[in-house]
Amino acid sequence: MKKQLFYIITTLCFCYSATIPLQARTWTSTDGKQMQAIFLGIEGENFKFRMRDGQEIVVPSSRFKKADREAAERLERIGDDSFTLASAKKIDNLLATTLVKNGYKSFNKPLPDDLFVRRVYLDIIGRIPTREEFMEFALNPRQDKRQALIDDLLLHPGYASHLFNYFADMYRLHDDTYDRGIRMEPYTQWWREQLQANTPYHKMVSDMLLANGNLGHNPASGFILRDTGMEFDAFANFGQVMLGMDVSCAQCHDHPFNDDLQQMDFYRMAAFFGNTQRTIAYSTKTDESMMLNYKGLPTQMPNAPPGWKNQFLTFAETQKNINLKDQRSNWFKYYLEALAWNVADNENMTTKLPADFLGKGGKPGEEVEPRTLIKPAAKMGGKTRREALRDWMIAPDNPRFALVIANRMWGRAFGKAMIEPVNDFSDDEIRNSAQPQTLAFITSEMRRVNYDLREFMRILYNTRAYQSMATEEEPSFTRKYYFPGPVLRRMRAEQAWDSLMLLSNGREIDTKEGRDGSFYKALLNVDFNTITNEELWQRYEIWNNYRGRRMAAAVAPEGDINSPDVRNESDLRASALAQPAEPASLLDTFGQSDRIITDQHNFDGSVPQVLALMNGSITNNMTGNYSKIVEDLKVLDGPDDKIRGTFFTILSRYPVDDEIAIGREMMNAYGEEEGISDLAWALMNSPEFLFIQ
Amino acid sequence: MMNIAEFAGKDSLSRRYFMEKTARMTLGVSLSVPFLPRNFQAQEGSKGKNLIYIYLKGGMSHLDTFDAKRDGSDVMGDTKTINTKVDDLKFGEHLPKLASMADKLAVIRGMNSTNGAHEEGEYIMRRGYNKRATIVHPTMGPFAEKLLGKRNEILPDSVIIGESTSNAGWLEPALSPLPIADPAGGVPNSSITTDQERFDRRMKMAQKLGQNFIGKYKYTGPESYVEYYEQATKLLKSEELKAFDISSENSTAYGSEKLGQGCLLARKLVENGVRVVEVVSGGWDMHIGLKESLANRVPVVDQAVSALLKDLEERGLLDSTIVAIGTEFGRTPDFNINSGRDHFPAAYSCVIAGGGVKGGTAYSETDGNGKKVKGPQVRPEDFLATIGHGLGIDTEEVVYSATQRPFTFGGKGKPIKELFA
Repeated sequence: MKKQLFYIITTLCFCYSATIPLQARTWTSTDGKQMQAIFLGIEGENFKFRMRDGQEIVVPSSRFKKADREAAERLERIGDDSFTLASAKKIDNLLATTLVKNGYKSFNKPLPDDLFVRRVYLDIIGRIPTREEFMEFALNPRQDKRQALIDDLLLHPGYASHLFNYFADMYRLHDDTYDRGIRMEPYTQWWREQLQANTPYHKMVSDMLLANGNLGHNPASGFILRDTGMEFDAFANFGQVMLGMDVSCAQCHDHPFNDDLQQMDFYRMAAFFGNTQRTIAYSTKTDESMMLNYKGLPTQMPNAPPGWKNQFLTFAETQKNINLKDQRSNWFKYYLEALAWNVADNENMTTKLPADFLGKGGKPGEEVEPRTLIKPAAKMGGKTRREALRDWMIAPDNPRFALVIANRMWGRAFGKAMIEPVNDFSDDEIRNSAQPQTLAFITSEMRRVNYDLREFMRILYNTRAYQSMATEEEPSFTRKYYFPGPVLRRMRAEQAWDSLMLLSNGREIDTKEGRDGSFYKALLNVDFNTITNEELWQRYEIWNNYRGRRMAAAVAPEGDINSPDVRNESDLRASALAQPAEPASLLDTFGQSDRIITDQHNFDGSVPQVLALMNGSITNNMTGNYSKIVEDLKVLDGPDDKIRGTFFTILSRYPVDDEIAIGREMMNAYGEEEGISDLAWALMNSPEFLFIQ
Repeated sequence: MMNIAEFAGKDSLSRRYFMEKTARMTLGVSLSVPFLPRNFQAQEGSKGKNLIYIYLKGGMSHLDTFDAKRDGSDVMGDTKTINTKVDDLKFGEHLPKLASMADKLAVIRGMNSTNGAHEEGEYIMRRGYNKRATIVHPTMGPFAEKLLGKRNEILPDSVIIGESTSNAGWLEPALSPLPIADPAGGVPNSSITTDQERFDRRMKMAQKLGQNFIGKYKYTGPESYVEYYEQATKLLKSEELKAFDISSENSTAYGSEKLGQGCLLARKLVENGVRVVEVVSGGWDMHIGLKESLANRVPVVDQAVSALLKDLEERGLLDSTIVAIGTEFGRTPDFNINSGRDHFPAAYSCVIAGGGVKGGTAYSETDGNGKKVKGPQVRPEDFLATIGHGLGIDTEEVVYSATQRPFTFGGKGKPIKELFA
């Protein structure tokens, strides 16, 4: 936890429209005439544009050259790219200026097409390209094919899938956080859907912070429910994830080296959640052993009549033979608990300093009023505590919120963030970062695009900096990294998994759906004002029929709880699987976070990983008897084409002459089929496979 | 004898390079922990060199096992109390084999935890700290490796049997114990799918094809994979891999259940140099029908642990190997409506044996109903610190996490030193 002073950022902020002259895309007619204009959309047979003077015009689409007609179709789906490309250019200029000042000539060499394809597939949709996708790009003659591929991939279902993997690690998404049948799939699915819909990031954060109700009423409540029983830890996580500050040390004591962070500050900030009640307990007097019961506080439930639970309980006890002391009634209790597990504002709750409070400015047991750690202070005026916190966070003058997410997204594209670790840095570290102007600019861009993460990533992927060769030497901890290009990185566990799934199952994995929590969500989505006891009891009986694993995989897309589908969960990409993946799965072996604490993905190698690639079932499927790659390449003729095809399939690049010779040698000695499967095995087991250049 | 600091500090450059290279070992590698050949394990004042920690998930009833009360008393329910080899030490009826070797066991009857939920209770019993949402604490294996140094070239220093995942908490991921979900299954993916000749040919081709890439980038990542491939290839052909194979062992004495098989594998691993083995076994959350549940689980422990102690002794390993039994809490002296017992963290029992432990003793005690600790209270942290002490670890030595938070082995526990001879 470090000192908070942020004036520097605001002074470094660039006003977008003042510094970037609008450079709109050039459109060419079939007879060679050109115009510069912002593309606004397709209207029937016409294209609509805005000219530089602001005038809007409509032109028949048949007037334009084929390439421009194709571009218009792409831009219709994702939006005009004039600002995108201008912004990318601005980033390149800012980076380049600092690079030159620090003795670099320029960026790393431009990335050749083959490495580009592999990188953007992995970075944007989280898997390697297929051989066909690779070839399609290679044979595409168009000038703007890189921009087009970036846009296509940003619109591909894999985009949200891969971004989900990142946020699942950051927000610690975990489907079965608690025992007793309580599940989190609706919240996990909420994340999937928000990312698929490209909901602005600040809107998502806002929805999570303000959510009330249970997971059926409002799945975004999962963010707050996630840490029920560990409220202060939850707050510490919130600081890391949304503000880039690890305040956890101040939970127990004043900061030893930093006078500005006192234990008192921690509790004042935490007090914004001070009247946020997370109920986990059936909260009846008949069971006092529940540790997490809020003793003496009535269970609050938005939109539920007071006492609904006791009334339903009495019904179950008197008419349905439920006996809460009997363990055999546990599943009834768990249903009740899941229904009532909700977030609500409870004005009777306050934040009190803990019994072992040691810090200055307060005494154990004293009540604390909410106050933000960093300036400008949050304004309470008539808002709930969480509303005040939300407004403070997403306000344009909040010095941290936009910067944190911009810095993180930069890290996703370049393999290294501008400031690391991304979840804990000081103002000094912002000031002393290698490219402070670029950082300030991308922060302002994050606000300009209104937290549209897809548009933000689109800017980064279109920079010359991104489309450079990876830096050949590992950046050192002691020297600044000025971003002459991305760094070399190992695939995330999910990228390795999705790529292996692609090799063995093909493109069907892109759209194959797994669990979505819809059945569970529907069971909990109850209007307490209208539902009868008998109807609620029927829901419990359905719950009881589907408990355990079937509950997790059951889907009821139309909300029909009577006949859910239990999905087969094999052969799914990582984002569609249970979160996180099962222990000892390949995902776990390759370092997927266990989602206990934030940003825990591990990129280290290990012998079990290597063993899985050597002897595991996917490798065997590819290279054993009835080898899948041998089958796939039967469409190609001649050893050289087959060797190339093997390289395209696994490494997505052209082999050099020596490599073709090695393949040839193998095929000559052991025959074509054995040679190809050996070559495929060797490529899957050369470290290059796991890395993104 | 050379001490650890001298050894780690006075490496010449080439020696250090050699060490690091060797330290990039197969199943769990650390470049940040000095590699210590086994002869240099300097642990003065402690006999214990290895640990086998048998963890019973769910909460073992203290009254029905190691803290049995007067035979026929109400709190005992249907469980009979039996005498052991040691006067004054009584066990529950399902532990006859361990009763006959009670002179080797130190039973800690004053266990007391503040965690009444499984996950939290287990967490502190295996990691020595309360569960937090901002950091994960290491289990004993990685922490011991961090403090005592890396021991093996090919084998990992710590293994967890009965779980399919593991982590090193805030320590370097490379210190993670190797998880072996099924003791009979061995190391996953450790048999090659072609004949050896073809495997070698493929491996050679992979190396050739990897050269350009490896040569181009000066990063530790790709290089570490080269090492992992080298070591994995070695492992596949190594004698050490056999340490994970119990199919050739006579397992009758241990019993056919997973716990018994796990104890057998643990013995074999320790014999081959693994320092810490955790054997995890579930089925102890006996809310319903205690009588049947006990008859189902307790004899399995009795057979497995007695066989383990005997086997270790016969192989001359008992003096250097601590065998501990832990669980997250005890169970209520009062029966519930389903003839079961519920969670009871206020008083419970754990066991420690071997590795210089004075056997035939009970440390602390509970009242006549097993409801309250009457003697000294032993918290989970104290139990772990005691084990650490037995392994020759300075339990006050502070290690800082990457985020500069200070931690010690066994939390802030106080070792019960009088348990050791």
